[in-house]
This record gives sequence, C-alpha cells and structure tokens, in this order.
Amino acid sequence: MLLQLNHIYKWVKQGGKRVFLLNDISLQVEEGEFISIMGPSGSGKSTLLNVIGMLDEFQEGEYNFLEESVHRLKEKHRSKLYKEYIGFVFQAYHLIDELTVYENIETPLLYKNIKSSERKALVADMLDRFNIVGKKDLFPSQLSGGQQQLVGIARALIAKPKLILADEPTGNLNSKQGEEIMKLFKELNQEGVTIIQATHSESNAEYGNRIIHLLDGSKTKA
Amino acid sequence: MLKNYIKIALRNLWKDKTFSVLNLVGLSTAFAVAVLLGMYAFFELSYDGFHQNNASLYQVYSTEQTPEGIVSSVPKSVPFTPALQEEVPGIAQSTRVNSKGVLVIAGDKELRMSAAYVDPDFFSMFSFPVLRGVEVQSTKDLSTVTITAHAAERIFGKESALGKTLRVITEGEEKLFTVNAITADFPDQSSIKFDLALDFSNQASFSYASIKDDWSKENHEVFVQLEQGVTRQQFEQATAPFTQLHYKEDLETAKRDGAQPDQNGNYKQIRLLPFQDRAYANFDYGIAHVDKAMPYLVLGVGFLILFIACVNFINMSIAKSTQRLREIGMRKTLGAGKAQLFFQFWGESIFIFLGAAILGGALAASFSDSFKTLFSTRATFEAVFSIKVLLGFILGFMVITLIAGGYPALLLSKLGTLQSLKGKLNLTRKNRVRDVLMVIQFGIAILLISGTFVLWQQIDFMRNKNLGYNKEQVISIPLNGKRSDSQVMHLLRNKLQAYPEILDITASNNSLGLGRDGSSRTSQMGFEYKGRMVTTHILMVDYDYPETLDMELVAGRSFKRGHASDSLSVLINERMVAQLQEKNPLETRFIIDDSIAYNVVGVLKDYNFQKLNTSVAPLTLFLKPNWNMHYAYIKVAPNKAATALPLLEKVWGEIEPKADFLGSFLDENVDRTFKAEKRMATMITSGSILAIILSCIGLFAISLLIVAQRKKEIGVRKVVGASVLRITLMLSTDFLKLVAVGFAIAVPLAWWFAHNWLQGYASHITLNIWIFIAAGAAALFIALLTISFRTIKAASQNPVRSLRTE
Repeated sequence: MLLQLNHIYKWVKQGGKRVFLLNDISLQVEEGEFISIMGPSGSGKSTLLNVIGMLDEFQEGEYNFLEESVHRLKEKHRSKLYKEYIGFVFQAYHLIDELTVYENIETPLLYKNIKSSERKALVADMLDRFNIVGKKDLFPSQLSGGQQQLVGIARALIAKPKLILADEPTGNLNSKQGEEIMKLFKELNQEGVTIIQATHSESNAEYGNRIIHLLDGSKTKA
Repeated sequence: MLKNYIKIALRNLWKDKTFSVLNLVGLSTAFAVAVLLGMYAFFELSYDGFHQNNASLYQVYSTEQTPEGIVSSVPKSVPFTPALQEEVPGIAQSTRVNSKGVLVIAGDKELRMSAAYVDPDFFSMFSFPVLRGVEVQSTKDLSTVTITAHAAERIFGKESALGKTLRVITEGEEKLFTVNAITADFPDQSSIKFDLALDFSNQASFSYASIKDDWSKENHEVFVQLEQGVTRQQFEQATAPFTQLHYKEDLETAKRDGAQPDQNGNYKQIRLLPFQDRAYANFDYGIAHVDKAMPYLVLGVGFLILFIACVNFINMSIAKSTQRLREIGMRKTLGAGKAQLFFQFWGESIFIFLGAAILGGALAASFSDSFKTLFSTRATFEAVFSIKVLLGFILGFMVITLIAGGYPALLLSKLGTLQSLKGKLNLTRKNRVRDVLMVIQFGIAILLISGTFVLWQQIDFMRNKNLGYNKEQVISIPLNGKRSDSQVMHLLRNKLQAYPEILDITASNNSLGLGRDGSSRTSQMGFEYKGRMVTTHILMVDYDYPETLDMELVAGRSFKRGHASDSLSVLINERMVAQLQEKNPLETRFIIDDSIAYNVVGVLKDYNFQKLNTSVAPLTLFLKPNWNMHYAYIKVAPNKAATALPLLEKVWGEIEPKADFLGSFLDENVDRTFKAEKRMATMITSGSILAIILSCIGLFAISLLIVAQRKKEIGVRKVVGASVLRITLMLSTDFLKLVAVGFAIAVPLAWWFAHNWLQGYASHITLNIWIFIAAGAAALFIALLTISFRTIKAASQNPVRSLRTE
C-alpha cells in the first residue's frame, strides 16, 4: 500500500459558516495504480491532489504515506517526504521561465543535492527518453504547449518518484497533444509508477484503472 | 546549485532591465556618495590621530570666573610652563608653542613661512619624525633650526638643506640659523602646522625676552604630557596651590568684582584638554566644548542617502516579487526549502549590491578630485585608509546587503506554496512596510531640502549684513615683506598719492575677515577701571582708520594728525562704553600698565571686527602708526574696483619686489570667514538633491508597478466613464499622501535642527514656516512630476487594450 486517507475533512470559514472543500474522504492507493479523479469545477479535485501531495493542509482525518503519518509530521519532514517520492504535473506546466529545458528538468535534483556528474547523466537520459535532446537549450516560451508539458512530466520524473500527481495535465492542450500525454502516462504506469490524475474528460479518465468521482468535496458512487 | 542561482539571477536582471538599471544607478550613486562623504567625515574625525603619545598629551588652558560668567583662556604667559612643570607633580614633558608667520631669507629667496617656537620636549612629545639630522631637543645650540622636508625644498630646492644657513625675520628682528634637522612632512590632519621649528627663546624680545618674568602677558599655547598613571582630573586638582600662588591678584579681583566661584570654590582653574580633541574644541563658552557635529552630520547625510537607495531596492524587490510567485511556488513543490529560497533571493540581492559597490567605488575614485575641489578638502582615501576602516566598510556593506537584500528574500521564502503557485498574494501587510519606508524617504528628502534653504538664507544674510564698515571699496594687503611696516606704509602713501582712484590709506595690526594670508589673531587686555576689572579687544591703528573704512562715529572725533596728545588717545566702541558704564564716555580716561593714562576721544558705532557668528565685543583702538602693522587698508573709488588691484600689485612690486602681493577686497575676506558654512551648505545641498533624485527613482519604479497592477481596474473605470484627469488624480493621491506624511514628520525635526544650528550665530535669520512649506512643496511637486509620467500614460490608454490583456 502506497498511501491511505482516512476520513479527511477540509473546510474554510465563510461568513462564520464552514464551507467544506473535502468532506469525509477516505481513499486507499496501492503501488502501481492509475487513478483518475473526476468531477465538475469546484468539486475538490485539485484540493484532494494538493492534500495528497502534501502541499495543502487538512483539518481532520488521518493521512498515511508509506508507513508515515503525514498529519503528525512537521513541515520539514513532509517536504522531505514529497521531495523524495512525489512528482507534480500541472495544467499550466509551471516551468520556470528563466531556466532552459535542461535546467528546468535538473532543478529537482539540485534540491536533492545530487552530484553534478550524476545529474548530467540523469537529465541526459530523460531528454533522450522524451526525444527532446534538441530542445534542451530552449526556454519554455520557445516551446509549444505539448512540448512544455512533456518537459513538465520529465521534470516530475527526474527524481524517480513513486507517485505522480497530475492536475488536469491536458487541460491546456489540444486533443492530439492531450492524447500523446495520456499515452505517456499509461506507459509510465506500466513501468510501475503510481499515477493520480485529476481530469474533466471522460476519455482521459478511461486511461486510469480506477475512477473516483467527486462532488462538492464528497466521494460519490458514479 | 550556485551556478543555477547565478544564471537565474542574471537572467532575471536582464529580463527586468528597467528595474535593474534603476537599482544599479541608484545604489551605485548612493555607494559612491557614501564612500566620498565617509572619506571626508573620517578625514575630519582623524585630526591629530597620528601622535603616538596621544593618550597622555594635553593642551593646557584655564577657566576664570568673572561677574559675566565663566570664561576660558588658552594663551599662557612665558614663565607659566617652567613653573607649572616644577611645582605641579605629574608632568612628564611639556612644551610651549608659539606659531607665527615669519619671513625666511636664504640666498636671494624671500619666503613667508610659518614658524613654531617650541621647547626642547616638543619633538619627543609629538610624532614629527626626523628624517635627517638631529632634533632641536638634542642640541643646546639655539642657533639651529629644524625644517620640514616640504619647507626644505621650497627654500633650498633639490640641494641638501642640512648645515645650510637661513635668516628669519620676526616682528622686526632678524636672526641667523643653521639647519640641523629635517622632519618628514606631517599628515594633513595635523592641527599643529609649521615649516620651521625654532627654540622658544628665539622669538623677538617683544614676545619673549622682555616678558620673561611677566605673568600677565599671555601669548602662546602650552602642551603637556602627563606621567603614566596620572589622570587629567588628578592633575587639574593638583594645580590649585599653583593657581593660588601665581594668580593671587586675579583671584582677589574676581572675588571683589562679585564673580561666583565654581563648585570647588575656585575662581580660576587650570584645565587640560586631550590633545586629540584640540581640533574640535570650542573655548567660547568657558569649559572647552568638543564639537564633532559637522563630520558626524556629513556621515549622517551619507547614511541617509544610502538608506534611501536601500529603501528603493527593498520596495522594488517586494513589488517585483509578485512576478516571481509562480517560480517560488514551483520551486517549493520541487522540494526547495525556506533556507534554499532565502539564499537564492538574497544571493540575487548580493549580486546587485556587489555590482553597485564596485561601480560606486569606481565612481567615487573617479570623482574624488572634483569632490576635493568642490568641498575644498584635502581628504584622500590614502589619508583615512586603514585596515580598520576597510573592515568597517566591508562590515557595513554586509549589514546593508543583509537587511536590504535579506528582508525581501525572507518575505518571499516564507510564502505559502499553493498561494504563490496560484499567483495570489495578500499584499496589505507588505504595503504598509512599503508606505512607511517611502514616508521616511520623503521625510529625509524634505529635511535635507529645508536644511539647504535655511543654510543658504543664513549665508546670504551674513554676506549682505551691514557689518558697520565699507567692505566693497576697501582692499586689505598683508604686510609680508622685508621692510619695516611703517616704512612700507610711508612708501605706499607716497607712491599712491599720484593716483586719483586711491581715496584713503591706513593700517592696523589685525585683519577684517580672513585675508589671503590666511592668518587671524585676537588681542585682548584687561585693566582696572573704577575698582572693577574690564576687558577689551585691542587694535593698533594708523591715522585715518575709521575714515578709510567708513566707520561711523557716534560721539567725539577720530585721531587727527597734528594732535600730539593723540598718541595717548583711544577710540572705543559702543560695547566698550556699555562696559565702562559711563554716561559721558568722552570724559573717560583709563590707566593701563599702572602708569599710562589714555583719553577716550571718540566712540565708534559697533562694527563686526570678528567672525560673524560672535556678537560684537568691547574694542579699544590705539593710535600706533609705528607699531607692527600687519595689514594696510586702501579705499578705492567706487567705479575703479576692477583696476585697483592690478595697480596696487604693481606699486607693491616696486616696494617689496620679493614678497607676494596678497591684497584682496574686504568682502572677499568676509566671505572667507564662513567657508565652513559654505562647505556645509554645498554638502547638504548636494545631499538633498541626491536624496530627492533617489527618492524619485524609487517612486517612479513603484508607480510603474502599481500602475501595472491596477491596469485592469483602470480599464474598467474608464469603461464606466472615468475621465483621464480623475484616474490620474486617483493614482497620484496615494503617493501624495505619503509625501504629506513625510512632510509632517520632517518639518518639526528640520525646525529643531535649524533652530539649534542658528543659535550658534549671534545674529541670524528668524525661522519662517514658509521655508519648510517651500521645501515640502518642492518635494511634492517633484514627486508629482515623477509619477505623472506613468499615471497620465496609463490613464489615457485605450481601455480595450488594458482589458484584453486579462
């Protein structure tokens, strides 16, 4: 088992009232799964991903990640944990504009204090694998959306995470580009990487082997 | 990692060229100015620091209780020092020092030089190292002279000066000396300056031999080195019996005249001033007051400028950070810790600061010459450089970088991951910091502008003040030649008779203002009058003195040729009349030196014969045409001012071919007396100009960002019908409020500083609220101008364009 959520509640106060973003979410994810989270805008897909990614806090419930009780961990340990095991892919790619493709992919390794020679080898492998060696010295603004997302995924994979969290990874892409990205995810999953993606699209959701439906912060049996 | 940071820092700087340039220009200018002002201030603060014995060196002075209050006196009598050393324990070494201008004749050279008449201990007390030969001290031969390397070159050129002879003329007496030692040139920060050092006994008999045992003629300064372990207080207390013994009469007079004794019951106290404080000491108000305010003020201005530039940097960094939120968020999701982010952003700051420091250093170095001319200072980097100063600068730089660069870095590194990823930032708290900083910036600018206005007004006031004599038409010539003064005066009168543009000629033994010879002196005396002690400044004058200078007689007559009795007549000023407490001053006579009676024949209206910051003191004029007159005064016809100087120079050349002609108009001489004020005014003016420019750079940058942030709002407002003017006004008022608050804070401070400063001037301008309002208005206007560049442009943009970008 990779991670387990037990009765997670997350809310914000609005005009003195609690507005629930996540309402009693329980979820168990095994290694090697490919899960799609579906739901309309505002249903809590991104929030759930952020909670799983430890970027966001929750008020109640338990979260265990690889035998660690995330809800009891200090910020520092949490960041160590997700740095080690989790890679993020965003709808808006979130590449650093001032860095080249090569440098963007390299950044997570820098924060893991990996030696220069090893970094070079790892980044070179990744560029090779995604067929973007020729683009390594370009800046994000010089790439198409699909290419940028490819770099985003490469960056997420470089630190060899156990889990990839993808928040609408194809949201900004056209259908052809989107399909390519989804195929790539499928391949990665077959290689053993656990993937959780949030998506609007039924067809994209189908790539997963399990679909979770959310509405107003609660799981629904679709 | 480091490479990555440097890369991203450079790319960010390049991307935001406007901001990088504004920051770099602002910071490097500020660094340059801070370095130059710092150099000046440290130079000014380092006077006399080079003497190895400084810890135990003191200048001796005394304070006396008088019915008018406590009065200090620096000059001492010839027998004072030997007696003090013998009778009061604790003195290791002592020296009398009398510095005066002398004429040095060697071969066919005739040079005006400054001589120090000193005792043998002089060279072992002070650190004026001997390069060649032996000091005065080690020889009992009084016919030797020690000269500085600079003087040696002036007198003897490239030849070795050792063993050569030269003649020295002082106060009409000529003596022959052999050069037995040459000292190294001393630093510019020496308050004791001389070209030649001669034994104290070599002075003219008027200054030494004839007053050898006279305790009442005080004409030189005294320095002592205390024995190890003896404190200043111990020594001062130990002088009580000495004072009782040697100043018995003075003490009785003070008691009789109704003076209040000090807290120890003394009427006269011998005191010590640490030698290093000598250059900063003011003896005008009794116990010496050490005042280093001026250099600290300059240092303060430097810091304020630096502060303003740093505020710009902080404000721009924070405002700009909104553009980097996504990067911050992304780095956090990729595993960057707070510390790593802090160091990244701080590193970027250090980058800019380092660049600015290097650029600023280069600027300072290349402008140091013009700085020296502009502020007529001899300060150089070499003169103040030391490991301590260097370390201080490095430390200061690091602190500045830590605060100015670290604060925004800290803010950025603390941002929440999700919040920054979404690019949303709660700006209210940070705006307050920004506002406070900008208020301080403009407060400083307004403070400095007010200071500028007040300073220039006071200088203008002093320059245009009616001093009580004609300074526009009168030329003063220092009598610096070989001939006796009365002979020179006689020749001048004869030769100038032929020229109709020369109206009057006279002479006196003191200057008005500060002449080109750069020397000034004060002579005072006290005598018994109707059972009271009165003190007066004294001036020896030639015939026609009040007439030449257009001084007003309020009673009686001036000195007249043909009145044989006028050699025992005096003119006094109104202050003197007040001190004598005589209703009918013209019938007054007083006795000086126990025997000679002088008659008051006329009363002069008070005129400013001293520096303009003092009030007019009692003055008595004696008619002594054959005295050592030091200065000739020549009045020229009003429309001939331009041709008069060359004419006088020609005539002077005929009389004293080897002496420099140093004649100058009196208004020029008066101007020279407030050189310090002018220098301060120039400094504060440049400081305030820089302050306002830098503040405006910051304001401009902030206005750029604010306008960019409110682009959408501006668009919406225009769509619903707001006019260009209204939007400009809306965008401007926020900034103008800050200037207004700055004004409200700065004005009381400025008023307080100006008020205190003006108290140092006997006659001064009255502070007027309009000065400050003008300063505030100037700042407001400049601020408005600065932001209007951006606001008007933003307000007149087509709203469709600004809305489309969303």
